[in-house]
Amino acid sequence: MLPVDRLASVRPDGPFALTDKTANALRLTTVDSEALGLGLAPGMTLADARAQVPHLEAWPHEAAGDAALLDRTLDAFGRFSPMAALDPPQGLVLDVTGCAHLFGGEAGLMKAAARLSERLGLQSRLALARTPQTARALARFGQGGIVSEGDDRTTARRLPVAALELASAETQALRRAGLKTLGDVDDRPRAALAARFGADISSRLDRVLGLEDARITPVRPPAPVMADRVLMEPLISTEPLEAVIADLLADTEKALETRRSGARGFRLTVFRVDGQSRRIGLGVARPTREAGNILRLFRERLAALSTPLDPGFGIDQLRMEALHLQRMDPVQTAIDEQDQRAEALDALIDRLTARLGPEAVTWVRPADSHLPEKASRRVCASRPEADDGVRWPDLDPDSPPLRPLHLFDPPQPVEVISPVPDGPPARFKWRRVTHHIALAEGPERIEGEWWRRDGGRVRDYYRVEDETGRRFWLFRAGHFGDEPAPRWYVHGLFA
Amino acid sequence: MSTPGYAELVSASNFSFLRGASHPKTLVLTSLLLGQAGLGLADRNTVAGVVRAWSALKTLRQDGWSPPEKVREGGSPGECGWLADPLASEERIEQIKARAKDFRLLTGARLAFADGAPDIVAYPEDREGWGRLTRLLTLGNRRAKKGECHLGLADLLANPEGLLLIVMPDRRTEDLPSLLDRLNSARPGAVWLGAAMPRRGDDRRRLERLKMLAEAADTPLLATNDVLYHAASERDLQDVLTCIREGVSVDQAGRRLLANAERHLKAPDEMMRLFADAPEALAQTLDFLKRPIFDLADIRYQYPQEPIPPGRTPQGWLEHLVGERLPIRYPDGVPDKVQSLLAKEFAYIAERDLAPYFLTIHDLVRKAEDAGILCQGRGSAANSAVCYVLGITSVDPAHHELLFERFMSADRNEPPDIDVDFEHERREIIIQYIYERYGRDRAGIAATVIRYRPRSAIREVGKALGLTEDVTARLAASQWGSWGAEIPERDVLQAGFDPANPAIRRAVGMATRILGFPRHLSQHVGGFILTRGRLDELVPIGNAAMPDRTFIEWDKDDIDELGLMKVDVLALGMLTCIRKALDLMRAHEGVDHDLATVPAEQSDVYDMLCRGDSIGVFQVESRAQINMLPRLRPRQFYDLVIQVAIVRPGPIQGDMVHPYLRRRNGQEAVVWASPKPPYDRNELQKILERTLGVPLFQEQAMKVAMVAAEFTDREANGLRKAMGTFCGDGTLHTYEDRMVGRMIERGYDPVFAQRCFDQIKGFGSYGFPESHAASFGRLVYVSSFIKCRHPAAFAAALLNSQPMGFYAPAQIVRDAQEHGVEVRPIDVNHSHWDNTLEGPSHALALRLGLRQIDGFREDWADDLVLARTRPFDSIEGLMRRARLPVAAIRKLADADAFRSLGLDRREALWEARRLPDDDALPLFAAASARELGEEENADLPRMGLGEHVVADYQTTRLSLKAHPMAILRPVFDAEGLLTCAQVEARRSGSRVRTAGVVLVRQRPGNGRAIFITLEDETGITNLVLWVPVFEAHRRIVMSARLLGVEGVVEKSPEGVVHLMAQRLFDRSAELNGLSSDHEPVIELSGADEFAHPQHPRNLRILPGSRDFH
Repeated sequence: MLPVDRLASVRPDGPFALTDKTANALRLTTVDSEALGLGLAPGMTLADARAQVPHLEAWPHEAAGDAALLDRTLDAFGRFSPMAALDPPQGLVLDVTGCAHLFGGEAGLMKAAARLSERLGLQSRLALARTPQTARALARFGQGGIVSEGDDRTTARRLPVAALELASAETQALRRAGLKTLGDVDDRPRAALAARFGADISSRLDRVLGLEDARITPVRPPAPVMADRVLMEPLISTEPLEAVIADLLADTEKALETRRSGARGFRLTVFRVDGQSRRIGLGVARPTREAGNILRLFRERLAALSTPLDPGFGIDQLRMEALHLQRMDPVQTAIDEQDQRAEALDALIDRLTARLGPEAVTWVRPADSHLPEKASRRVCASRPEADDGVRWPDLDPDSPPLRPLHLFDPPQPVEVISPVPDGPPARFKWRRVTHHIALAEGPERIEGEWWRRDGGRVRDYYRVEDETGRRFWLFRAGHFGDEPAPRWYVHGLFA
Repeated sequence: MSTPGYAELVSASNFSFLRGASHPKTLVLTSLLLGQAGLGLADRNTVAGVVRAWSALKTLRQDGWSPPEKVREGGSPGECGWLADPLASEERIEQIKARAKDFRLLTGARLAFADGAPDIVAYPEDREGWGRLTRLLTLGNRRAKKGECHLGLADLLANPEGLLLIVMPDRRTEDLPSLLDRLNSARPGAVWLGAAMPRRGDDRRRLERLKMLAEAADTPLLATNDVLYHAASERDLQDVLTCIREGVSVDQAGRRLLANAERHLKAPDEMMRLFADAPEALAQTLDFLKRPIFDLADIRYQYPQEPIPPGRTPQGWLEHLVGERLPIRYPDGVPDKVQSLLAKEFAYIAERDLAPYFLTIHDLVRKAEDAGILCQGRGSAANSAVCYVLGITSVDPAHHELLFERFMSADRNEPPDIDVDFEHERREIIIQYIYERYGRDRAGIAATVIRYRPRSAIREVGKALGLTEDVTARLAASQWGSWGAEIPERDVLQAGFDPANPAIRRAVGMATRILGFPRHLSQHVGGFILTRGRLDELVPIGNAAMPDRTFIEWDKDDIDELGLMKVDVLALGMLTCIRKALDLMRAHEGVDHDLATVPAEQSDVYDMLCRGDSIGVFQVESRAQINMLPRLRPRQFYDLVIQVAIVRPGPIQGDMVHPYLRRRNGQEAVVWASPKPPYDRNELQKILERTLGVPLFQEQAMKVAMVAAEFTDREANGLRKAMGTFCGDGTLHTYEDRMVGRMIERGYDPVFAQRCFDQIKGFGSYGFPESHAASFGRLVYVSSFIKCRHPAAFAAALLNSQPMGFYAPAQIVRDAQEHGVEVRPIDVNHSHWDNTLEGPSHALALRLGLRQIDGFREDWADDLVLARTRPFDSIEGLMRRARLPVAAIRKLADADAFRSLGLDRREALWEARRLPDDDALPLFAAASARELGEEENADLPRMGLGEHVVADYQTTRLSLKAHPMAILRPVFDAEGLLTCAQVEARRSGSRVRTAGVVLVRQRPGNGRAIFITLEDETGITNLVLWVPVFEAHRRIVMSARLLGVEGVVEKSPEGVVHLMAQRLFDRSAELNGLSSDHEPVIELSGADEFAHPQHPRNLRILPGSRDFH
């Protein structure tokens, strides 16, 4: 239900499902409990589901959003143990060996975890067992809960054979053979099972029954040097943080000293009561471990955060990790000689951006539209974009430019005398000055965008040159004889 | 000053798929009304649309009228109001006729090259030039995959004789001089440089440049407007087509769309104004028309001569063959009636020179006969004595009225039509024979134009307009019928949208405009065009999606229009079934029959049909047909012809069914609808006599239009065409006023008139002519005969011909059991691939074959049977002797096929799982020794009956052990629910409760009621749900696999029982109780029209075993 939970705050009321296109049809991938209660299930086509529940609300499933949520959740659960990993699909696995005491024993840990997932708005089933595989099986195929010491096998034997997570044909074969629980399988001679389902079944069974242990691979290997503080009283303002950070840094300094090394980076993780967490990293040019200096850097870093640290309902845990450990010798960095021009431009953009702000430094990219004002767009030079494949129009090499460099935004109304129905203007008055036109070319006819609510009128553009040699780009909006009458504008000036 | 002359020589219709935005005939009519002197239609690498333009012009010349086009509402510039009703005045008609007489239509193609050369429009000068053009296109088509054409400039230059070429320059003109040089030296005096004024700003500068280039190359400059649509108002439609083509939505399309709406047909004075700088380019268009130019009427179609021996005339040879076959058909002497019929038919065939056509068909039928393939002809020309004697049909003219007489008296322009059905499994043999006999350069399959229908239109247009897939899917799903000339607001509401919402409104409006637009070409199911000369010099040939298949660019209508003849080689599953049944009867019962010799008019066969006992019988096996049988009570052959035709949209929509039944049952007098004096009171008698005064067949409805509404041949032809391709030309509604109005004017009852037209509308979605019904009637009779007298052979043949027909194997097997056939389970020691018959001829039992096992392969079955020289005694031994892979053994075990080895399903599966991998260890294989040692007993729990039944359904979709409902019966008994048999026995009006598994859900026609068929171990119950009950129980209806019902029994006087449902209960959960961990899979046999476009027999009540949780 994780994908549905993710959208809890934005989704409409009523039965709800997410869909994805598989096998040429829109199918439900996840349904909420209300839809489940109405008999809808993942895998159904949306058409079938709608036939049953016409008012079903269905949104496209975004796997990337789920992955991001799961990542955030992993971070949040990182407070219980640094040994945390994703357990796909939609699961987390934590090695809490030696962590439970921080949370008041196993029961306390479970309660804290349940509370956390509730605060995150996620539905969860938790299981705690001696091995990760047993816990996973209990959470996915059983009722979850804490398995007391020595009860793993007895508890796991009650699970259905699906808990072995064999290929569906194999699971089916076990059921066809009348073996429906892990206990049924466990009771048969292992040799007979292995002969039929491969040697793998035995070790799978052992792992789920807790007879064999495979350790987890954590997502973020815990840093070799790390310090943790669980706060009894959550901090609701950021001022006292500094003291805690100083404490943590003192711990890491000591640890680094014993290793005779310094770190090139430090990472502070701030856990909030509501399950949110935030990581703030800090890089230094040379390895260091000196707590005072690092604290100063953190102070500046925290002050300069674009989104300031928000304690929310309170900060209840902090962790400091020292990264990229090195001996303290400084290292010379090499300078790439290639592409100096691009680098010089980059450097210029960097400097201008640093001085003037990113919004002030822009360049022009082609955009895909016939409408002149939409045919180009300004983008921040400091934020490179992926190539969108749009190119400037391909013109005959010996053609004069059809469009001016300078455009008025908005176009300026002018009064024009011109022959009907679509002859070029003879003279026009702009800013109280009358221009007599000596040369003209056109029209270039551009229709409005009919698919927009205000698609605009058709425009006839003319390139004109007045008697003094000044060149303008004029257009008439609307056809002669239309209601309301057409109007003329000057849209740009040719250099 | 006289008006300037102009002809638009570069125009693209909507057969330039997803580029052009107007129908060919709209272009012709618009061009003519604008006063252009001619029109050149050149679609992109195809000539698929030219025949339509050509025939539209023909109609305009003769009638001065063409069915009006739908005109867009709204005030966009360029809207052509005069298109709304060109019929408005007689004057206009005369004016159009006069203009059409001198109007020139050029038919060619726009060659778009793959090598970067600019497009070149090519028009043939003469028949040879046309042949070169079609060969060129064929070359390009055959090189590319379906729907594409890869041509290079060199291909054109290799053989440009007879073609007039207009170069359409790109924006960049650097390479133009050298191109013009090359073309001029290849085709001196036949090259033009096309110039357009597309309002791009630099038009005049560019025109000047082209002028200079043309002068330098000594090539005339030719004015065009490079037309993509007939009027400026179609620009938005063209934009949408572009979006569909490019797969983008309109707000992302950017410059892929055209900047303006200029590429429409323009009046000559407008062109004059645009080309004021180059009047000579304008004049050039008229000079172009003065060149000799090919007209499609120049095509002289010649029929192939293959089947005629040297020295014989086609007519002589046909008469000779008929004479030769007469004694075979009539060993006891030829009846006089037949003799005189033959004489009349020969005279007619000679007069219209149709003998070669009959000979070709005869040749195919003879080939099929030699190969032992059953076949049968149908269609207007097939219902003739000649065809019966030649063995093309099996309806004996000595006993039955023939429709050929009516064909002979009909419109002389109507092409003869013979479709031949062959066994569906072996039709390919005939197709390959045709290719072999005539060669691929002389035989090709016709095209079918795939057009936008409401569903596809709304889906693609919605996507182009940026609606989400969910929204378009919902709109599309609301389109129940796939045909229709419009998308009604009601459907939009039903999909849960507000029709006034601007986005929805625009999408629906645009989709409505695109309805009937050709989307692409596809191959016809089996219509062959044969020619004496090269086919690719007649029409381009392209690749089909199927390997080794090619098809031509013209469809049935084009072919009719040009007077080409088509031979339809179709596939029919029932013929396969009948042939297999006849083979089984010959082998096991010593009875030898063929289609023609099955004893006619046997009363026990009709008795069976009158009971509605027709599962598996051709055509009359659907629920609706089964319900009709006891009411119609067929007693003779012609009754079957009517039975086949009556349960169809035409008669139903025309409300003709009940009047017919009442008259047949003597409850209503048989009278003809009559006009007022001075018209002949009995003018309809001849047409309607045989159907008791009620028009039931398509031909009758047409005849009524011609007689009662005085339709001219041409109007009738138009009506027929509009009916055949209802959406295709979307003109049917234009005939409504004329037919109904004229009938009323002549004194007919307005209700009758309207009903006749409604019926024609119904035929539009599914026409059923009597000539087809007559041939089908024969197959109905033959299959009924076999089912009645030889039920075991019938069931086996039906199972062996799957997939076909309406019912799933479970229903076929059950029906056989109810007819006293013992059905034996699949077993490795007894079964073959096919279902077989066992035992003495008086008590044949049906042995289920290995083909019933899902996923089992025929070659495995063959290996198994070959190795079965003595009975198998162990799984391992079987595997080794038959050399079957482990997967095959597992399938057999899963299907419980090892019972004769003393192993039940569970034991066999456990054993099979243990088998070694497919490559046996060489040492053991060599020694042929048992590889597997003894092992300790696994002591598996016993498999219960419920579990077995479930597994049977999962592997073979049926169970001989029990019906799932039988196992659940104690549960339902305890609740006081009746069985289906008990419901059937209750009096009309009784309130009952029952339950059963859902076989069929249907929502026919007007959708006022929903029909559901439930099945249990005792029989079936037919539920009727009125819409309010359905809506109240919608979720249950849509999802339940086991349905509980409370309702009232309703019995018709004929004994047809329905249960009018009032409350429904989803009891599917009970199915899970059958076995503790498998749900049973009961196959739906029903036509589930609700959300499933697939064929009913492929539906399952429960998903396959892999989907189980």
